[in-house]
Amino acid sequence: MNRPKTSRFIALAAASALTLGLAACGQDGGDEGGDWGDGNASGKVTLTWWHNGTAEPSLSYYQSVADAFTADHPDVTIEVTPIQNEDLQTKIIAALQGGDAPDIFAQWGGQEGTDQFNAGQVLDITQSSAAAIEAMGAAVDGWTTPEGNVYGLPFTMGIGGVYYNVDLFQQAGISQPPSTMEELADAVGKLKAIGVAPVALGGVDEWPAAHGWYWLSLRECTKDPRDHAAVTKDFSDECFVKAGEDLAAFAATSPFQEGFMSASAQQGAQSSAGLLANGQAAMELMGVWEPAVLKGLTDSGELDFELGWFSFPAVAGGKGDPKAAMGGGDGFSCWSKTEAPEVCSEFLSFIVNVDNQVAFAQTGIGVPVTPGGEAGLADEVLKTVAENTAAAPYVELWLDKLFGNNVGGALNTAVTEMLGGANTPAGIVQSLKDAAELE
Amino acid sequence: MTAVIPSEATPGTDDRAAGSGRRRPRAPRRSGLSFRTRGEIALFTGPALIVYIGFVFVPIALAAYYGFFTWNGVGAPTKFVGADNYIRAFTDPNFLKAIQHNAFYVIASLVVQGPLALLVALLINRRIRLRGMFRLLLFAPYVLSEAVAGVAWRLLLPPGGAINAILGGLGLDSWKHDWLGDPSVTNWTVLVLISWKYLGFAVVLFLAGMQSIPDELSEAASIDGAGYWQTQLRITIPLLGPTIRIWAFLSIIGSMQLFDLPYILNGGRPATGNQTMATYMMLYGQERHMYGFGSAVAVILFVLSLAVALVYQRLVLRRDTEGALTRGVF
Amino acid sequence: MADRRPGIEIRTRRGAKVVASRRAKRLTDRGERNPLVYLVAVATAALTAAPVIYVMLGGFRSNQQINTDPTGLPNPWKPSNYLKVFADPVFWNESKNSLVIAVGATVGVCLLGVMVAFVLARYSFKGRGALYAVFAAGLMFPLTVAALPLYLLLGQIGLAGNPLSIILPQIGFQLPMTVVILVPFLRAIPAELEEASIIDGTTRIGFFWRILLPLSVPGLVTVGVLGFIASWNAYLLPMLLLNRTAEYTLPLGVAHYATEHSTDTAMVLAFTSICMLPALIFFTILQKRIVGGLTGAVKG
Repeated sequence: MNRPKTSRFIALAAASALTLGLAACGQDGGDEGGDWGDGNASGKVTLTWWHNGTAEPSLSYYQSVADAFTADHPDVTIEVTPIQNEDLQTKIIAALQGGDAPDIFAQWGGQEGTDQFNAGQVLDITQSSAAAIEAMGAAVDGWTTPEGNVYGLPFTMGIGGVYYNVDLFQQAGISQPPSTMEELADAVGKLKAIGVAPVALGGVDEWPAAHGWYWLSLRECTKDPRDHAAVTKDFSDECFVKAGEDLAAFAATSPFQEGFMSASAQQGAQSSAGLLANGQAAMELMGVWEPAVLKGLTDSGELDFELGWFSFPAVAGGKGDPKAAMGGGDGFSCWSKTEAPEVCSEFLSFIVNVDNQVAFAQTGIGVPVTPGGEAGLADEVLKTVAENTAAAPYVELWLDKLFGNNVGGALNTAVTEMLGGANTPAGIVQSLKDAAELE
Repeated sequence: MTAVIPSEATPGTDDRAAGSGRRRPRAPRRSGLSFRTRGEIALFTGPALIVYIGFVFVPIALAAYYGFFTWNGVGAPTKFVGADNYIRAFTDPNFLKAIQHNAFYVIASLVVQGPLALLVALLINRRIRLRGMFRLLLFAPYVLSEAVAGVAWRLLLPPGGAINAILGGLGLDSWKHDWLGDPSVTNWTVLVLISWKYLGFAVVLFLAGMQSIPDELSEAASIDGAGYWQTQLRITIPLLGPTIRIWAFLSIIGSMQLFDLPYILNGGRPATGNQTMATYMMLYGQERHMYGFGSAVAVILFVLSLAVALVYQRLVLRRDTEGALTRGVF
Repeated sequence: MADRRPGIEIRTRRGAKVVASRRAKRLTDRGERNPLVYLVAVATAALTAAPVIYVMLGGFRSNQQINTDPTGLPNPWKPSNYLKVFADPVFWNESKNSLVIAVGATVGVCLLGVMVAFVLARYSFKGRGALYAVFAAGLMFPLTVAALPLYLLLGQIGLAGNPLSIILPQIGFQLPMTVVILVPFLRAIPAELEEASIIDGTTRIGFFWRILLPLSVPGLVTVGVLGFIASWNAYLLPMLLLNRTAEYTLPLGVAHYATEHSTDTAMVLAFTSICMLPALIFFTILQKRIVGGLTGAVKG
C-alpha cells in the first residue's frame, strides 16, 4: 500500500470481479485444502512472509492473518517480516536469485511475475489453490502466465483518483469537485486564496509526480497507443507529448506546495500525504491506499476533516474516455523451493478467504478482491472508489507497471525532472524511447 | 626510505631486505627461494588473497561479464548486447550530468576542504587549551555513519526545517531554499555536507603529518626570527606535501564514488539535480532491475577511478614513497 | 626518496625515535595566547559539531516543541524519548548485529592485513612489488563499485542474510588501506631484533608471533579503529544483503526507524543521537592512537 506496485491486470477483470462480488457474497473462497497437516509427518513448519505493510493498520492486519492461520495449524510458525516497499522490491529479486527467499512474498504479477515463473522461482498454485482462484474470478488474470499457470493471488485492487479535504473545498467556496482541467485550475486559484497548498505532491519519490502524466495520457490518448506502447515501446503518438504539455500548463499555475521537489509522498508531517492529513494541503492525486496512509500520519490516527474523492478531471479535446480509470493491485506468491508447498499454497488461499478479505476491507487499507470481501468496507471513500472501479469502462494499469520497471522508472524520472524545470514534454517522450532502447 | 638491512643471514631466509629495492641481497639466490620460505609466503598471504580476490576482484569481473547483457535479474543472463550498455551510458544525458556532478565534488572538495583543513590543523597543532576537545569536535562528523548523518540532515534541511528557520531568524529570508529539492542548489548542499563530514579526516591526517615534521626545523626558523605563520608557510606546509597529496588522492576517489549521503538525503536522482555516478548505477542496478546496464555502469565507475588514480600517480604521487599505488615501493 | 629534500632525513628514523621527537615537540611549543586562534578554532568546531548537538538536543524535545519552533532548546527537557529507545529491544538487537559485524571485520582485516604486511615488509621475493601493487590498487575501488555484483554473487553462494556476507567483503575492501598503513610500520621495526631472534633459534614465524605482532600493536590499533568505524558505519552492503529486520545493523536501523516513525520526529532524533554515541565514544578514547598510527602511515 505504500506505492502503486501492481501487476498487469486486465481492466475489465478488476471491474467484473467487483461486480460479480456483489452477486456472490455467500460463496466461501477460503478454507480449501486444509488437510495438509496429517500428511506432514515431520510436524513443525516455519514459513517466512515478506510484505510491505510497515505501518499501521497494515502491520497488525498482516500479523492477525498469520496468527489466525497458526491458531488453526499449531505446527506452523509464520515469521512475518514487514519490509519498506522500495527495498522489498529489490530484496525479493535478490533473494529469489540467491536461493534464500522467503516462503511467501509480495507479488505484483505482470511480466516480472511471468519471468519469475519461467525461471522456476515461484510456486505453481493453479491446482493447490484452485478453490480460491475460482472464487476470485477474472481478478487473478494478472497473476497468471499466458499459458494459464497461476503463481500468485491478489488481495487488493483499486483505482486511483484525487483525494481532497471537503472542508477546505467548502471554505474556498468550491461547491462541486472539479470535473474538467479548467475547473481544477479554478479550484487551485480559490484554494490559494484561502492560504493552503492546493495540491500536495511528493516529488522526491518521483512516481507521485508522474501520476499526473499517467492520468493526462489516459485522457489524451485512446487505449490503443498506450497498450501498443506497452508491448512495442513505440511512443510516437503525439498524445504522449500532449499529456506532458497539459501537465506543464497545470504546473505553471504553481498548484503544488512549497518544496514539493524534496517532499516524500508518505513519510512524516512534511510529506505530501502529511500535508493533506493535517489540513495544510487540499488535495492529492493518489491510489486507493491513500486513506490509510493519511490516518497513519495524524497524531490521533483519525482525520479531523471529511475526506472526499473525485476521479481525475476530463481534458478538453482529449481522445481518451473521460471515465477511464487507472489502478493496480497487490498479491502474494510462494517460493518454488519452500519447504512446505501445500501449507504455503493453503496460506495464500487463506489470506484471500472471505473472512480475511472482509477484515482487510474493515481496516480501510484498500479494496478487497474476493467477492464478498467488500461487505467489510466501512470507509465511505473506499466505497466510492469500489463503485467507480466497477463503473469504469476500462481500468488501465499504472503506467510504470504497464511499461515495466525500466521504461516506467524512466517515465517517473523524466516527468519529475520536468516539474523541476529540467525537462520538457517532448523530452519526456524522448526519455521513454531511450529507456526502451536499453531493453 | 629506511636503512637497508643487509641480508647475509642464514640461507633460506635469504633476503629480509626490508626497505630499499635497489639494493639486491648479496647472498647468492641460487634457485630462488627455499621451499620453506615459499611455504611461509603462501601461508601468510593466502587467506588475505582469497578474501581479497573472492570479494573484490571476482565481483568486478562479474560486473564486466553482466555488463554485456540485458538482464532483469530473473534467471541467467542470456541476452547478449555487446558494448551497447556502455554506449547507452555515455549517450545518456543524465549519466553525463552525473559525471559532471562528481567532477564538481572532486574539485570543490579539494578547493574547499584542503585549505580549510590545513588552516585548522595548523591552528590546533599549536599548544592551545582544550586541543583534544577541538580535535574531537572536528572529527565527530567523520566517525558518524553516512546513513545516520544523512537521516539527521534530512530532518534539518526541508523547507520548513531548522536550517531555514535559522536563516529566517537571522533575517536572511532570501537565503532560504528547498535545499534537497531545488536542482539549482542541491549540489551545493551536498558539497557543504561532504565538507562538513570529511573536513575532520583531512585535519587529523594533516595533524599526523605535522607530528612527523622535525621540530628542529621550525625551531631553527624561529631562532632566525621567522614568525609562526611564516614558519608554517615556508617549512611546515612544504614538508607536508606527501600527506597533502595522499589526502587529495583519497578525497578524489571518495568524491568519485559518493553514494550513501546523497542516497539517504534525497535519493540522488536526476530530478533533484544531484545524481552521482554511484546513485545512477544503483538506480538502474536496483530499482529499475536493469542489472546488466547497472553492472556496465559499475565497470565505467571502476575504470574512471582507475584512470584518475593512474594519472594522479603519474603526475603527482610519483615522488612519494607510500603513494606509489600502482608500483611496488621497494 | 624522501631524502631528496633537505631536512627530511629525520623522517627515515625508526618509529621509536619519531615518537620521542613528538614528545619533544609538545614541550618546546609555547602555550598559545592569541585569542584569534581560539576564535577560529571555536567557530570551526562549533560549525561542525552544531548539527550533532542539535540532533541530540532535539531528542529531548517533544514533537510539538519541534513543530512550533524548529530551532529552540528543550523546554521542558523530556528524557522519555531516550529512555524509550534504551528500552527498545530492537535497538539492542541492532547494536548487537552491528557489533558482531564490526568486530568480525576488524579482527579479520587486522589479522589478514598484518600477515600480508609481514610478508611484504620483511620478505624479498620476485613479485613482491606486484603483490603490493595488487593490494594498493584496491584503494581505488571502494565498495560502491562492487556492491551490485557482490550482492548478486553473495546471493548466489547462499550467504545473503548471514553476517559473513557483510564481514568478508568488508575485510576484502579494507585490506588495501590496512596493508598500505602496516607495511611501513612493520618495516620500521629494527632488523637487529629479527637477527637476534634468529640467532636464538626462533623461526621467522615464531618471530612474527612473538616479537613482531606485539610490536605492531600501535599500527594495528590504527587500522583496527579505521576498520571498525568503516564496518560499523557501513550502509550500502547491509542494505542490499540483510533482509530481515532482525538482522539489521544500526545504520540500516536508523534509516528504517526514520521511515517507520516518520511522524515522530523527536523519537527519530533520539534514536539517531544514540546511534551516534558508540562511534563518538570509541573515537574519544582512541583518538591519540589514530593520529599516532596515521603518522606512521603518511610520513612514508
